Amino acid sequence: MAGQLVSIITSDLPEVRNQSLDGFCASASLHELLAECAELEAFRHRSSNLYECVRALFFLYAIHRFHLPQKSGVERRGLIPYRGYEHLLQRRFEEAIRAFLKNQATGGVNESISSALAEAYHRLAFQTLADQVRRSVRSVRGNQWMFRVGHPADQPLRLRKELLTRTTAGLYPILHEATPVRMDLSHSGWSDIFFLGMDFPEGARVLNVSIDLAVHGRDLAPLPPVEAFVRAIDAPVLRLTSVDLGATAEIRDLAEVFDYARDYLGLLKGAIIAAGIVPPGMEGSGEQLSDLLARLVGKGMGLEVVSKVNGIPKGSRLAVSTSLLACLTAACMRATGQTGSLTGVLEERERRLVAARAILGEWLAGSGGGWQDSGGVWPGMKLIMGEQAVAGDPEYGISRGRLLPGHHILGYEEVSADTRRRLQDSLVLVHGGMAQDVGPILEMVTEKYLLRSDAEWVGRKQAMRIFDEVVDLLKQGDVRGIGDATTRNFFGPIETIIPWANNLYTVTLIDRTRQAFGEHFWGFWMLGGMSGGGMGFVFDPDHRARGQAFLLDAMQQAKQELQHALPFAMDPVVYDFSINQYGTHADLLQSDFEIPSCGNGSIALMPPAYYTLLIPQLLQHGRHELSATRRAELDAFGAICRADPQLSGMVQVVFDQLLPRSNRETEDGRSLDALLDDLGFDRIQHEQIRADVRSGRVGLAQNRLPASTVIRDVAPGDVLDLAHADVESRYPAEGLEAIRRGEVAVVTLAAGAGSRWTQGAGVVKALHPFSKLGGTHRTFIELHLAKSRRVSQETGVWLPHVITTSYLTHAPIRDFLERKGNYGYGGPLILSLGRAVGLRLIPMARDLRFAWEEMPQQLLDEQAQKVRESLNAALIGWAQTMGEGSDYRDNVPLQCLHPVGHWFEIPNLLRNGVLAGLLDQRPQLRTLMMHNIDTVGVDVSPLMLGAHLSSGAAMTVEVITRRVEDRGGGLARIDGALRLIEGMALPKEEDEFRLSYYNSNTMWIDIDRILEVFGLSRADLRNTEQVADAVRAVAARMPTYVTLKDVKKRWGHGQEDVYPVAQFEKLWGDMTALPEMETHFVVASRLRGQQLKEQAQLDGWLRDGSAAYVESLCAWGEG
Amino acid sequence: MRIAKAVITAAGRNQRTLPLQTLRDRDGTEKAVLGILVEEALSAGVEEVAVVVVPGDEDPYTAAIASVIGEHGARVTFIPQARPLGYGHAVYCARDFVGTDPFLHLVGDHLYVSREERTCARQLVSVAVAESCAVSAVQATRETLLPYFGTVGGRRVASRKDLYMVETVVEKPTPTEAELSLIVPGLRAGHYLCFFGMHVLTSAVMEILSEQVADADSNGERSVTLSEALNVLAGREKYLALEERAQRFDVGVRYGLLTAQLALALSGVDREEVLARLVELLASRSMGYDHSPAAGS
Repeated sequence: MAGQLVSIITSDLPEVRNQSLDGFCASASLHELLAECAELEAFRHRSSNLYECVRALFFLYAIHRFHLPQKSGVERRGLIPYRGYEHLLQRRFEEAIRAFLKNQATGGVNESISSALAEAYHRLAFQTLADQVRRSVRSVRGNQWMFRVGHPADQPLRLRKELLTRTTAGLYPILHEATPVRMDLSHSGWSDIFFLGMDFPEGARVLNVSIDLAVHGRDLAPLPPVEAFVRAIDAPVLRLTSVDLGATAEIRDLAEVFDYARDYLGLLKGAIIAAGIVPPGMEGSGEQLSDLLARLVGKGMGLEVVSKVNGIPKGSRLAVSTSLLACLTAACMRATGQTGSLTGVLEERERRLVAARAILGEWLAGSGGGWQDSGGVWPGMKLIMGEQAVAGDPEYGISRGRLLPGHHILGYEEVSADTRRRLQDSLVLVHGGMAQDVGPILEMVTEKYLLRSDAEWVGRKQAMRIFDEVVDLLKQGDVRGIGDATTRNFFGPIETIIPWANNLYTVTLIDRTRQAFGEHFWGFWMLGGMSGGGMGFVFDPDHRARGQAFLLDAMQQAKQELQHALPFAMDPVVYDFSINQYGTHADLLQSDFEIPSCGNGSIALMPPAYYTLLIPQLLQHGRHELSATRRAELDAFGAICRADPQLSGMVQVVFDQLLPRSNRETEDGRSLDALLDDLGFDRIQHEQIRADVRSGRVGLAQNRLPASTVIRDVAPGDVLDLAHADVESRYPAEGLEAIRRGEVAVVTLAAGAGSRWTQGAGVVKALHPFSKLGGTHRTFIELHLAKSRRVSQETGVWLPHVITTSYLTHAPIRDFLERKGNYGYGGPLILSLGRAVGLRLIPMARDLRFAWEEMPQQLLDEQAQKVRESLNAALIGWAQTMGEGSDYRDNVPLQCLHPVGHWFEIPNLLRNGVLAGLLDQRPQLRTLMMHNIDTVGVDVSPLMLGAHLSSGAAMTVEVITRRVEDRGGGLARIDGALRLIEGMALPKEEDEFRLSYYNSNTMWIDIDRILEVFGLSRADLRNTEQVADAVRAVAARMPTYVTLKDVKKRWGHGQEDVYPVAQFEKLWGDMTALPEMETHFVVASRLRGQQLKEQAQLDGWLRDGSAAYVESLCAWGEG
Repeated sequence: MRIAKAVITAAGRNQRTLPLQTLRDRDGTEKAVLGILVEEALSAGVEEVAVVVVPGDEDPYTAAIASVIGEHGARVTFIPQARPLGYGHAVYCARDFVGTDPFLHLVGDHLYVSREERTCARQLVSVAVAESCAVSAVQATRETLLPYFGTVGGRRVASRKDLYMVETVVEKPTPTEAELSLIVPGLRAGHYLCFFGMHVLTSAVMEILSEQVADADSNGERSVTLSEALNVLAGREKYLALEERAQRFDVGVRYGLLTAQLALALSGVDREEVLARLVELLASRSMGYDHSPAAGS
């Protein structure tokens, strides 16, 4: 009877409420599942309870994503209505769901429509949660008024008088706030995510410690890592400066305050708004910033806010950015009288308010963390726990818990001074160098919590027990026990809940530390969202110093080994730390220095780095153009630099700032031009392309076929579906025989960087240890070799395995395979180096606009969308400033180059002698199975091979039925001809949604027939010139696509910027358009044909049985 | 409880001429601001009035209110505030005048226009007498005006629409502070109960002020606020706030005197005449005529 799932959701009994969905779905029939879906859909509309709605949405998502496709009777093939997809992109999720459900009702249940429904339910669930957090943040008392202020005359805040009293030197005093960062001592299964706290307050608990930091070997002693400075200035502007990011701006326009992504000052702007200096209600009011400042500071006056992070890199997992936001917010609130005291520590309710404002600021600036992240505002050690919402709370009746948790500061009677000291003496804090976005992980945690999957729920309860244990051990002073508990936590519940929290780098470090220290290594401790960045290692205190030195070496070495496989943002560092007993703390800088040249006056100065940043700008103006206060300030800074030996190096620093050194060389010291020469870069062709781009002959809009092209879905008989029973049973036997005769080789495409995989970080995707399979982390290459090994073992003939490489991937893959002994692969393993390379271009503004404005884009959540639009505007400005269509050279050389598309991979085999060599070894070789690096389920299947051989085609292409995420073209009849078509070549976006099949890019290629297409024979392969001419001739018939790719530019301490750059490619799928290329198309199962394009797919891949399927294909070797 | 004394503070160093400004009262006669205030106090049944002033202002002030005093035969005393130690201290200067009696207190830079027959002071005093406790007049005020007023937090007295039990008093709070501790159930969002500039206080306030003046002296602080004292009072004894059916006008702000004059005129005997002139002024401006004497010269 339908309604069982609804009763799980609505039950008051924990044992019913906490039931897993999987258990029910495994035994339910298709009919029962559909009835449950209908019931859940109706229920979520009639329920007004946030938790019930969201859980129903997650249930619906999971049923469509994981369970329905497994049921017999569900069609694989289906079409997704474009209208629904458009709604999805525009975040009109309810409309999208309605369109998809209507389609399901008329067209029947199929995998395609279920994938679309799953996506829509998933997004709607998270949107509902985000809306609730936003509502709660706005409705927190103390925040509400800021949304009602819409005019400068409404501004009720005034700068405190103390900040308006000039010192004798004529300068205003500076309010200085210093804030520790927070360290999570327990990692209780990411229980600090907002929704968990709001739904399961009793399970949301963390043990949070405020700490000061120093980089070991660089700094003298630990200090609060983040600082803010606020002062009045005598100009009606907001002057914002981020010392650590090297950015400064004088804001005169109110709209610019709300333009978060325009520069690196988004966090400062977020704080200015969240503190009520420019209240959020002012956005879009069209009023003057100077009027608002006149109200707040005084007529003709303004405010200066400066932020400083003391060299603590991004991704430290110590909530540096939230701490900085809280620090800035606290300083701004103090300055405007919103706290009782201008200086010193804050009161408890003020800390809570600062935390709530920091959450608001994060939401405004489009970022987000957990609710413990502003823990540094509080002193020392504290338990932070979810709280039940009670009558009178804004959350009451909507969610079970409050938005903001409660803080219990652990006194010395609970955790002794001795324990605290011993903890400091045992723990080594490090930053491993990886800086990754943990957003997807936090989404996974929320989803799994709501689905209550068995293993995850057991893991969560186990994490809660370990949390209690850690608190007890802390009270007992048993540091060794804590190390043991956090290690169990990491390898137990944390890895159970999110396998991706762990990675090969972390495991390598733990193993090596264990080997080196034995029983003196007391445990590992994961900080924050995922490992690889900030981490803790607990040692016997007598061995801690050695541990610090060891870890620095071990991290550097492991990074060296894995730098091409994992996205490292910076060199690893080891920290010194101490527990901060004050929390956020402020003082008024009035008389820092006595300066003889300023008479008897005393003067407050900003940190030295502020001046080194601003002096070059100020020098652009004549001294007479500077205000009297600016002149006095600079005089004072100069005098101090001359007098204070600690600042004696300032002249050099300022000089370097004025004339920055160029750093445009590869690791081995080669310049971009030298590299281009080495790689056979074709300058003449490049200049032609560049001219075409600039003139508009080539561009994103020009990728498309003419609008008059007739595009139809395949007709019956166009594709062979091997899953159907009437397929001839002789295929597998024929295929097997061909393998046994040694007629087949595998070609794995690994020349690309996989920009989507690590958002343009430039790692070699083939070497990414992407998942644990067979108990250890496996790279894509290892996986493909393991499948070839299995087939070889089964047939008794080693499959030759070719891996195509490029300038970017060749050396790393070669070295990696050498280190791993080819993973023990016994057959021929050959690298085919591509010789074609392109130089990226600064994109044309028109292409950027085309991509962002004319192509359908996924709209983001309201505030995030605003930030993205602001960023897009900034990037268009960047392209125009840098010169549209000029060479992209402003990065490390390897990031300026690009591979020119996988069309060249097969021709490369012809040109570089790899195919000729293979044919020498195996003259019987007849078929190549070419596949993408991320098509993890593909193997040399006798069935597929048999089908290919029987067809006698030059090439057989494997296609799969389409899911909503499969974007980028497919199989179609184009003006009547059956061929593959790239998504960017389709005249209209909706054309793609009429195509049932998606290209898996796995292709079986008949060597002789492909040579024929090139006008070559086997014998011609030795004639390099003839081969080159043949390749050039076919290449000329292939379309060239312009694409935009994201490329990361790294700078500072783990900072990364992502730029869109233009590049060119030719794609192998277009070969199917050649009339002489006889191509057949077969349907592969999703397990076989799906590709892993983004790391966010991994979790679903693991859960829907795909990973298990892939494992069943592998025979792991030694390596 | 009988209220026979009133204290008017007019010792603002920057506003010494304000109480001397003349306006036409509702009855159409010309009076000094101070005179109107004294009349307001007398209307509530007060018999003795003390005005706290900057030393040296006694004579001009006496002259300004001479007609009012003469008419009512009231006793007005001037008390000089020797040192400018804040509003709270100014009130405290009247401690000997007040003794142990409850008293009405008005600020010298505000004028009050009641919307009913009874004057504002009369309404306030009658509540204080009935409830036998300190009462402050308050008005629901938009949060954007919080920087100008002392503000009270509390809850409505059962079955009374206009009376509140005061729990907290904060001087010029930020809206952040106000949302956290001064929200009064029943008021519109973003509105708080701000002081009206008129109180009936008990002698307990003088005791508290005495403690605070002593504290300020020992800490070297320069200012004592009345709000702080009233916040303490709320903890010590029953203390109410009355939401008056009236308007108050701060004559010290820009155009404050003009606004107050208009308000008085529009609620008094010359209402028709002033209205007609206003309409004429507006009409001639909007039609482009200029009747000012300077026109055409």
